[in-house]
Amino acid sequence: MKSIETKAIVIGGGATGCGTLRDLTLRGIEAALVEQNDISSGTTGRNHGLLHSGARYAVKDLESARECIAENKILKKIARHCIEDTGGLFVTLPDDDPEYHNRLIEHCKYAGIECEELKLEEAFRIEPHLNPYILSALRVPDGTIDPFRLCSANILDSMERGGKVFTHTRVDAIIAEGGTAKGVRCIDEVSSEPFEIRGEIIINASGVWGQRVLSTAGINLTMLPSKGSMVIIDYRINNVVVNRCRVPSDGDIIVPGDTVSIIGTTSRTIDYSDIEKLTVDDDEIDVLISDGEKLIPNVAKARVLRAYCGVRPLVAVSGNVDGREISRGIVLIDHESRDGIKGLITIAGGKLMTYRLMAQWTTDLAVKKLGLSKKCSTFHTPLPGSEQKVKKPQIRQFTGMPNSIIGSTLYRHGNRVSSILSRQNRNFSLVCECEMVTVGEVEYALKKLNVKNIIDLRRRTRIGMGPCQGELCSYRAAGLFNELGAASPIEASQLLIDFLEERWKGIKPILWGDALREMEFTYWIYQGLFGLGDIAERSEDE
Amino acid sequence: MNYDCLIIGGGLAALTCGIKCAGSGLRTGIISGGMSALHFSSGSIDLYGYEDDRTIVYQPFEKIEKIISQNPLHPYARCGMAIIQEAMRFFKNEASCGGLELYHNEESNHFHVSTLGTIKPTYFSQRSVFNEDIKEAFRQRPKIALLSFAGFRDFFPKLAAANLQKSSLFRHLEIITGEVILPMYSKTARNPHEFRSIDIARIFDSERYITNIAEQIKKASQGAVFAGMPAFIGITNYNKIYRRLRELTGIFVYEIPTLPPSILGMRIDDALKRRFAELGGEFIAGDRIVGGEIIDGSLDHVHTENHGTTRLRARSYVLATGSFFSGGLTSGFNILRESVFNLKLFCQQERNTWYSPRFLSTGGHPFLAFGVETDDNLHPFTQDGKTVENLFCAGAVLGHYRPIVEGCGGGVAVSTGYAAAKKIIDACRTSSQ
Repeated sequence: MKSIETKAIVIGGGATGCGTLRDLTLRGIEAALVEQNDISSGTTGRNHGLLHSGARYAVKDLESARECIAENKILKKIARHCIEDTGGLFVTLPDDDPEYHNRLIEHCKYAGIECEELKLEEAFRIEPHLNPYILSALRVPDGTIDPFRLCSANILDSMERGGKVFTHTRVDAIIAEGGTAKGVRCIDEVSSEPFEIRGEIIINASGVWGQRVLSTAGINLTMLPSKGSMVIIDYRINNVVVNRCRVPSDGDIIVPGDTVSIIGTTSRTIDYSDIEKLTVDDDEIDVLISDGEKLIPNVAKARVLRAYCGVRPLVAVSGNVDGREISRGIVLIDHESRDGIKGLITIAGGKLMTYRLMAQWTTDLAVKKLGLSKKCSTFHTPLPGSEQKVKKPQIRQFTGMPNSIIGSTLYRHGNRVSSILSRQNRNFSLVCECEMVTVGEVEYALKKLNVKNIIDLRRRTRIGMGPCQGELCSYRAAGLFNELGAASPIEASQLLIDFLEERWKGIKPILWGDALREMEFTYWIYQGLFGLGDIAERSEDE
Repeated sequence: MNYDCLIIGGGLAALTCGIKCAGSGLRTGIISGGMSALHFSSGSIDLYGYEDDRTIVYQPFEKIEKIISQNPLHPYARCGMAIIQEAMRFFKNEASCGGLELYHNEESNHFHVSTLGTIKPTYFSQRSVFNEDIKEAFRQRPKIALLSFAGFRDFFPKLAAANLQKSSLFRHLEIITGEVILPMYSKTARNPHEFRSIDIARIFDSERYITNIAEQIKKASQGAVFAGMPAFIGITNYNKIYRRLRELTGIFVYEIPTLPPSILGMRIDDALKRRFAELGGEFIAGDRIVGGEIIDGSLDHVHTENHGTTRLRARSYVLATGSFFSGGLTSGFNILRESVFNLKLFCQQERNTWYSPRFLSTGGHPFLAFGVETDDNLHPFTQDGKTVENLFCAGAVLGHYRPIVEGCGGGVAVSTGYAAAKKIIDACRTSSQ
């Protein structure tokens, strides 16, 4: 069996895992990351992408609110190309308790969150489509963050610093010998080949999946999964984040992001055994849309693009838990003191907003255990693409290309745009016309960003995320996988099947209106015109 | 405005119906909202392609005979065998009059090759897809080349070749892939949007670059008998350009329908519209019928989006507005309806029963079979269950059949369009006697 040696091993490619890998490599520690699916494919990629100001937590959980606003300020500096500094509103509807408005102002003050009371006319100037019957409005420094881009940038930086990344690789077991964790046994899910990675410290950052991972080392940690569902509205119907000014509850936030808006979120406790087969229920969609309408009435007229859900990884820290419970949200466990197993750390709980802080604490502990003394620098070292604002001379090299293409590429990859678009290679012809993804961007993602299939490619580039949900671009992407040497022709056909089936999962729950029309068209093309189902059937027989 | 026959919708069913009516001397109008589904089709007309277990149907008429006896609600059963056969002969003839020859394998299906290299059974095809010479040449186990245009993103020959090689018909043939460079490439590549099949086809509506491309095709084919390429041989000047290519290359340039818009489908659209106009039909494009008044079981008048309260009147009307995709049917959160007159539908109400768990599931999706409920004469029912005597339904707006799963979309459109026309002509004759 193949064996790889490294110093630190990170299990889980969510924001926390990716951030930890980066922190380790930034401190010059050799490290590897193992992810069972794709980076940011779990809980990290399944939220509404709110860059919290902390205001949503201010009344109930001051400590989380303080963490949020601190990280908010840091991320705006180090991850500028993953963020839109839109600002956010808290609006009080006639049904809501007007007293909450005052409490929010007061608690934002305690937490250090700028919170400004707006005149209604000012609120409507900022967000013209707001419910006209709102009673009051507050402005807070909310924004939006793209979790896919954030993770990808963390990974890219780690790899450029020598970090190793194994996606689509499942951890079968933690290797524990004589009370010490020595490494992990893995299986490459693409080739089905088993191998092991050995290291001195193992960091479990696998979120809700941590319960299973830790059980392989005989450790019991109970996760309490809670499902949150969201719907995506086609086109961006709001400029800024719109929150409902009440105790956080279902369907009370609309977050704009890239070309769409997202209505969040529901909250349902689910059984641990169900975490792999999550579905959005019809009644959740009902709540999200009818409550979304109360904030922005246009929701009723807009087309719903898809629905999705994620699992919040809440940790049950109970009984004789010896782990350090640092905040109500973030849980950092040293398994040496808790379970008598050396060289093993779990980082869990928390939220996307605090991923960097979680990574910092984890790496601090790891560094201490390794007997080193290297300081964290992630709070001021920008991620690749966010080094500095892109200046005019840099853009001038793209003269002759459409602005929409330069703009989209810049928006998604920041400074790295120079390694993507090239006038000489004419690599700016479009693959995805909804999201302006070019051949050059696909090539860059395939070569640099750990892309193994079209679903991964979507997370790196937004291919297939637009109104047509991959109707035209998925075939083109499959062809490019083959052309660029990333898949054989038969494999490329299978990637196409997998991608369309994956898109289908998020469309089924919202299959009415234009979504249904679009899917009839897509079925017409891929089954009627291309006979893709025949290929799917054939590959099942083989 | 008054018509003998007013057809709502401008696709395959509508045009077939319109040509038959206009050809019989009726004052016929077609109101079409825009491009029809023909623009997204394969350009071949499927009559019946697949059994329920996905095995291929070789004798479509025999299969239809069975369908008629087993499923009286199927649109084919409403038409009857004699009308279906008559409709096919009529369609071939009228397309030819419109300038497009269609070829068929006597009573049997033949195959056409898709962009992904799967093979699909069909009944009528254009000469660059099927004819007697192609059939004969294929019997000789020819070498095949699959070629694309450099930089074109809507056809990847390698994917097609690999999948084609998996089919029993092609397993033992030599298949090579290659590329030709469009004479206009340096210009076309400058704009990232302007490189669709239609942009290439426009270049080859004239003979200007034909020698250049012919030489390249010949060279890239490396002695192959067939050169399979994304459909590109023009739209309006197809016959001539095809003939010239055949002369210059000496090989069969075989056209494959690619991602929309479909050049092959546009040729059918073009030929049928031309024929309809030639016969004196009136084609109103860019307007939409938004409603009408049904009085005593008869449609009195309709009105359009652009003309406001102006009433359009006809003795008979045909509803050929297509399925969801074309806008003939609409759906809401838990609602399905026929878009123009709110006619009675064949459907299931609960939204979570409209679809199958897998996108590419072999049985398709239940919603694909939803559509208007009619009597044996293709008359629809209003919500209170009464038929509308002078309204006929044709094509994809009809329920009780699965165009893609059965491989019968084109055949049903042509047959029901033709059947409706026959009934309208009969009705006009009776009433004027």
